[in-house]
Amino acid sequence: MSRLRKFLERGLEAAVVVLVAALALVVLVGIAFRQAGAALVWYDETASVLLAWLTYYGAALAALRRGHIGVPTLVERLPSTLRVGALLAADGAVLLFFGLLAWAGWQVQGALAGATMVSLPAVPAAVARSAIPVGAVLFVAAQLASLPEALGRARAPTDAESRS
Amino acid sequence: MTLALVGLFLLLVLINVPIAVALGLMAVVGIVASGGAEALPNMGIVMFSGATKFPLIAIPLFVLAGAIMNVTGISRRLVAFASAVVGFVRGGLAMVSISASMFFAEISGSAVADVAALGSILIPAMRKKGYSRNFAAAVTSSSGTLAVIIPPSIPMILYAVMSSSSVVELFVAGIVPGVVGGLLMMFVAYVWARRAGLPAEEQFRLRRVWETFRGAGWSLLLPVVILGGIMGGWVTATEGAGLAVAAALFVGGVVYRELDWTGLRRAVTDSGVQTAVVMLLVATSALLGDHLTEARIPQQVAGAIMGLTDSKVAVLALLNVFLLAVGLFLHSAAAIILVVPIVLPLVQAAGIDPVHFGLVVTLNLAIGQQTPPVASVLVTACSVAKADIWGVTKSNLPFIAVLMAVLLMVTYAPAVPMALVEALYR
Repeated sequence: MSRLRKFLERGLEAAVVVLVAALALVVLVGIAFRQAGAALVWYDETASVLLAWLTYYGAALAALRRGHIGVPTLVERLPSTLRVGALLAADGAVLLFFGLLAWAGWQVQGALAGATMVSLPAVPAAVARSAIPVGAVLFVAAQLASLPEALGRARAPTDAESRS
Repeated sequence: MTLALVGLFLLLVLINVPIAVALGLMAVVGIVASGGAEALPNMGIVMFSGATKFPLIAIPLFVLAGAIMNVTGISRRLVAFASAVVGFVRGGLAMVSISASMFFAEISGSAVADVAALGSILIPAMRKKGYSRNFAAAVTSSSGTLAVIIPPSIPMILYAVMSSSSVVELFVAGIVPGVVGGLLMMFVAYVWARRAGLPAEEQFRLRRVWETFRGAGWSLLLPVVILGGIMGGWVTATEGAGLAVAAALFVGGVVYRELDWTGLRRAVTDSGVQTAVVMLLVATSALLGDHLTEARIPQQVAGAIMGLTDSKVAVLALLNVFLLAVGLFLHSAAAIILVVPIVLPLVQAAGIDPVHFGLVVTLNLAIGQQTPPVASVLVTACSVAKADIWGVTKSNLPFIAVLMAVLLMVTYAPAVPMALVEALYR
C-alpha cells in the first residue's frame, strides 16, 4: 500500500505542477496575443479545461494528503473505537460519491463519441471531459491508499487520552 | 425533503466527511429522490461544467502569486517595511501583522495564503515578544481575512460569476470597507496591547522606513500593476491574476534572486492543491445548486420572505442573519455557489444593488472564516500557532466584533462601499 501511495503521490504532484504551469502560461500567452491585437480563439476553452483537470487531479492529491476541508472536532473527542468507526463510515461515504461520479463520468464519455472541443476541433470532447471519470477513479485510489495511515491516527491515543 | 437533506448534510459533516463530498451526496440523494437513478449521469456533466467557468481561473493564479511571494522573500520584505512604519506603536507586532496583511491582500486574493505566509513569520516573532499563543493566532487570522475584502478577492470573483455582476466594481467596492476594517483592527490591537503590557517593536526612524521601503519597493509596486491593470480596464480579473504570477516570479526570481526550483515546485504544488480543494467545493456546490434551482427553491424563498416584508432594511437584516448562519457551517466558496442563486431573486425584488449585496455576502463569509466549526482561515492560523481553535476564538472575539461593525456599516450605509463605484464606473 505504501508503494501505491508513493507512486500516486509522485504522479499526482507531477500532474498538478504541469497543469498549474500550463494554466499560467496559457493565460499569459492569451494576454500577450490579445494586447497585440490577435486574440487566440482557443484560449478561453483550453484554460477552462485545464482548470477542470487541475480540480480533479489536485483533489485526488489533496485526498491522499487528507487535506479536504472537514469538521474533525466531534470525531476527535470520541473514544478510539468510535473514532475508527466514524472514519470508516466517512471513507465509505467518500468512496460511494466518487464511485458514482466515476460511473456518471463514464456514461457521459459514451455519449460524447464524435464530438470535439469547439475551438480546437482536433481534440475530442471525450478527452477534455476525461477529467471526471479519471479524476474520480484517482480520488478513490488516493482515499484507499491513505486509509491505513488515517486508521493508525484514529487508533492512536489523543493528547487528552495520553494525559489521563 | 429539503429538511431531510439538511439533516443528512449535518450528519455527514459531524462524522468528518469532507464538506465538498457531503454537499455532493446531498445533491445525489435529492436528484435520485426527484428524478430517479436515470437522472444520475447528469452529475458527470454538471460536475465538469461547474469547474470550467472561465473567471474561476483567477483562483489558482492568485493563490500561486501568494505562494511565490511566500517563497521568494516578498512577504518578509513587506513585514520589514510594515514594522518600520507602524512597529513603534505599542503592540507593534500586532500592528505589523494587520498592515502587512493589508499589503498582501492587494496581491493575493486568498486569506488562507495570507495567513500561511505572514503567520509563519509573525506568530513565532510575537511569541518571542510575550504575546499569548491565542492572541497571536487571533490577530493573524482576523487580519488575514482582510484579503477577501480588499481586492483582489476570490469570494468576490465567485460572487461575480454567480450573480453576473462586474468583478471590477466589486473589487472597487471592497477598498473602503477593507481599509476601515484594517484601521479598526489596529485600534483594537492597540487597546489590547496596552492592557496586556505588550511592547512596541522598534523606534520610528525615517532612515529605517526609507531602507525598508527600498528593500520592499518592488513588492509594493505589485499591487499597483495588478489592481491598476484590472481597475483601469486594461486586463480582466483573470488576466490580472496571470500578471500577478508573472510579476511575483519577476520580482522574486530576477530582482530579489531568491527563487529556487525546490521553492517554486513547492509553491506550485501547494497552490494547485489549495485550488483543487476550493474548486471541488465549487463543483459539488454547483451540483447541489442545480438541483435546488430545478426544485424552484430560490423562487420559493423569495416569495416566502417578500410575503413577510418588502422593506429593504428588513430583507437585508434577514439575509445577514441567514448568511452568518451559513458561514458557520460552509466554506465561503461553497456558500457563494449555493446561496447566491437562491437569494438573488429576493435581492432583486427588494431593489438591492447586486454589487452592494456582493460586499454584504463577502463580509458575512469573511466572518464565517473566523467562526468555528468550519473556519478555514482560523484553522490555518491555529495550525501555524499550534493553538487550540476554541481558545483562539475567545481571543478573536474583539476582532470578529470589528468585522461585524464593518458588516453593519456596509449593509446600512451603502455609500461606504458604493461611493467609489459610483464615482468611477457609473
